[in-house]
Amino acid sequence: MEGSAASYFLMSWLDPSLLALTAAGALAGVYIGAIPGLSVTMAVSILISFTFSWEVNEALALMGGVFCGGVYGGSRTAILLNIPGAPSAIATALDGYPLAQRGEAGRAIGVSTVTSVIGGLMGVAALAIAAPAISDFALKFAPRDYLLLAIIGILLVGSLSGESLAKGVFAGALGVLIGMVGLDPMTAEGRFTFGQVSLLGGIPYVAAMIGFFGVAEALVQLRNLNVAPIKQKVDRIVPGWSVIRKYIPLSIRSSAIGVVIGALPGTGGDIAALMAYDNAKRTVKNPSRPFGQGAYEGLVAPESANNAAIGGAYIPMLTLGLPGDAVTAVIIGALFIHGLKPGPMLMIETPHLFWFTVGNLTLANLFTLVFGLTGIRVFAKMMECPRAILIPLIIVLSVVGTYAIQNSVIDVYWMLAFGVLGYFMKLYGYQVGPVILGVILGPLMDVSYRRAMLSVRDDPAMFAWELVANPLTLVLTLSIVLLLASQTPAWGAATARVRRWRRNGG
Amino acid sequence: MNTRLLGAVAALALLTTGPAGHAADYPTKDLQGTIMWGAGGATDVVARAITPIVEPLLGQKIVMVNRAGGGGAISTAFVAARPSDGYSLLFGAENPQLHKVLELSQIDYADFYPVNIMARGVAVIVANNDTPWTSFKDLAEDAAKRPGEIKMGSTGPGGLPHVVGSLLKTVIDFNVTSVPFDGEGPGITALLGGHVDFMPSGLSAAAEHIKAGRVKVLAVVNNEELASLPGVQPISTDFPGFSKYLPWGPFYGVFVKRDVPDAAKAKLVETFKQAASTASYVEMMEGRGNIMMNIAGDEADAFLKKWQSTTAWVLHEAGATKASPETFGIPKP
Repeated sequence: MEGSAASYFLMSWLDPSLLALTAAGALAGVYIGAIPGLSVTMAVSILISFTFSWEVNEALALMGGVFCGGVYGGSRTAILLNIPGAPSAIATALDGYPLAQRGEAGRAIGVSTVTSVIGGLMGVAALAIAAPAISDFALKFAPRDYLLLAIIGILLVGSLSGESLAKGVFAGALGVLIGMVGLDPMTAEGRFTFGQVSLLGGIPYVAAMIGFFGVAEALVQLRNLNVAPIKQKVDRIVPGWSVIRKYIPLSIRSSAIGVVIGALPGTGGDIAALMAYDNAKRTVKNPSRPFGQGAYEGLVAPESANNAAIGGAYIPMLTLGLPGDAVTAVIIGALFIHGLKPGPMLMIETPHLFWFTVGNLTLANLFTLVFGLTGIRVFAKMMECPRAILIPLIIVLSVVGTYAIQNSVIDVYWMLAFGVLGYFMKLYGYQVGPVILGVILGPLMDVSYRRAMLSVRDDPAMFAWELVANPLTLVLTLSIVLLLASQTPAWGAATARVRRWRRNGG
Repeated sequence: MNTRLLGAVAALALLTTGPAGHAADYPTKDLQGTIMWGAGGATDVVARAITPIVEPLLGQKIVMVNRAGGGGAISTAFVAARPSDGYSLLFGAENPQLHKVLELSQIDYADFYPVNIMARGVAVIVANNDTPWTSFKDLAEDAAKRPGEIKMGSTGPGGLPHVVGSLLKTVIDFNVTSVPFDGEGPGITALLGGHVDFMPSGLSAAAEHIKAGRVKVLAVVNNEELASLPGVQPISTDFPGFSKYLPWGPFYGVFVKRDVPDAAKAKLVETFKQAASTASYVEMMEGRGNIMMNIAGDEADAFLKKWQSTTAWVLHEAGATKASPETFGIPKP
């Protein structure tokens, strides 16, 4: 038993202190994740100094707990207040908040908790079973493939636009503009910085997120201050098996997206959640309600994906010593500080680490389930709090959260300005979702396109050839072509004809 | 009630000694540490590993915040704007020494006092395993045959690959296409996937991949062979023109503003010197392929000046600067 995979797997289950640390991490993570601005990355960085003198297993157990709990926790405030607690919960707010407005906050949190944990466990399973294969697959993504992924993501603007596509595109472009501020990542040339040193580092996109979602929403609600708070149904919090079973296929599909996007160095849970949401919106035939108006499917997809992305992010970290996202980058730093050497040899030099991590993450997911399902009633009741009390609280929380990103008052000004801008945008029928999409994906498209072009020495013909010459790239290119073609009238006519032909012929 | 009373006494004590209090008592409150690069990066690891050792020696906490961005210019501007009381530390790497010639910022380490330069790193040139080269000489000959066709992984202007690439251009005729990534980690990732052919990288980022045989190392950018990489040729063996620029590499240190009171400087220098000699820290740093320096004050200043003069002029001669080093009084090496 000693030295076997099973014994490593069970290490954190059987050792009382590791067990307690994982639990404490998950509990802390749920609440850290729920507060906008307090991010998992930040929490794990602080833990590095804090756990310096500990055993490495203890430090990792705590960090794993915080990671799992934190990614889940972001959904709480997204559902209840329309302020995503973390970027990975942006997509959750799109249908979660409408659900809370219908008085189903409790049930929404229940479903998001269970599907988060399903996603998390799927991610861990992928890590356990297919880590080397997935990390080799992730390495195959060239800059041009990241560009295509970003394009697939940005097409989501179409489904987030609300009443008018033009307004959605405008909002998306605004987001891209915000994302472009700062030093050009390729040439270190200042862009839209107007000579201000404070703009050299760009505008933190979490500040934009808190402003456009949190403060803007609070201001909109201030307009209708006297509307009675929505009565929340808190009878059936924990979803029954029949409900869960219905969402399992979607949850698994979204988890697969989460694992791959999470394993790609350079993309993390935020992009995974948005892409899973987009995928669900396109593929789910009969959602419980239309997407954007409180569809449970719109909650299941991003929540499964962003938690599955945790397991995904650990894949390149454990197999190659390369971070799959920002949090695993910090954990790699922690491993170095503890005298380990993250890299391709890590699994050979410290053989326990792989199965220890798998076991620990499984445990952390189970604790997340426990802590996620307790206390929902109290949280859901928060929605019934009079607005005159709740809204100032939201604004205070937004300011504190933004300041916490990097202790910068300038970020707070940005956040408030975005809040006011977002208020007017909402008033005139512009959606704020595409703005954040632009902030996240714009810079990725920018650098990926330029890297891809540099790689072919600025030869457009060669660039076009590369889009079809490689199997992986070809699949991505075809997906975009299909996505676009499926929106044209010709496509509708063609599918109708095929259907008729099938019916007649068959 | 008791705790409140204690708190009041402590607050009173703080008020009387205060920031302007007796320097001999320094430090009387928490310090603030600003890290030049993002969480998990090389500078971050160096900084976060030393603070837990320093804290008990100083008797105060150091609150660490990452202020990445602007190639390091955000963090230098931030710390330079803080009061000169010795409570704001800057944990930085080599980058600010190039900010003037790259026109990123007018602040460099001339404005800061080196409390400790903990270590320096060594650069290596690594290549994808599918490439035909076995030494840097092969690569240089290949690059001469098909100019611009070979892809070099890079991390943007002022980064290590950019400087080493410029060094190569200065010494030999070396025409390759540079593809910048967000850091050494993402660059190595692209190298592993074959999206670039080779990359100059810090040994600390590449060491484990070399050891595992996932990339091959063509040369060490150093005058001598490294004990940690036996059998790998120093670049100056085949190309003696390099030796006058070497040793060259990144470095990591902790800084305060120049006009911090001397007593505070002395206390910090003493503490960091002791912390940087701790066996566990040395072991961690050397394990990452760094060479320990643990120097402070004038010795460190001399090192910083020499580094700046060598690097700024190499970049200038390769046409990679925006302003001549001469403008800023940076002497020719």
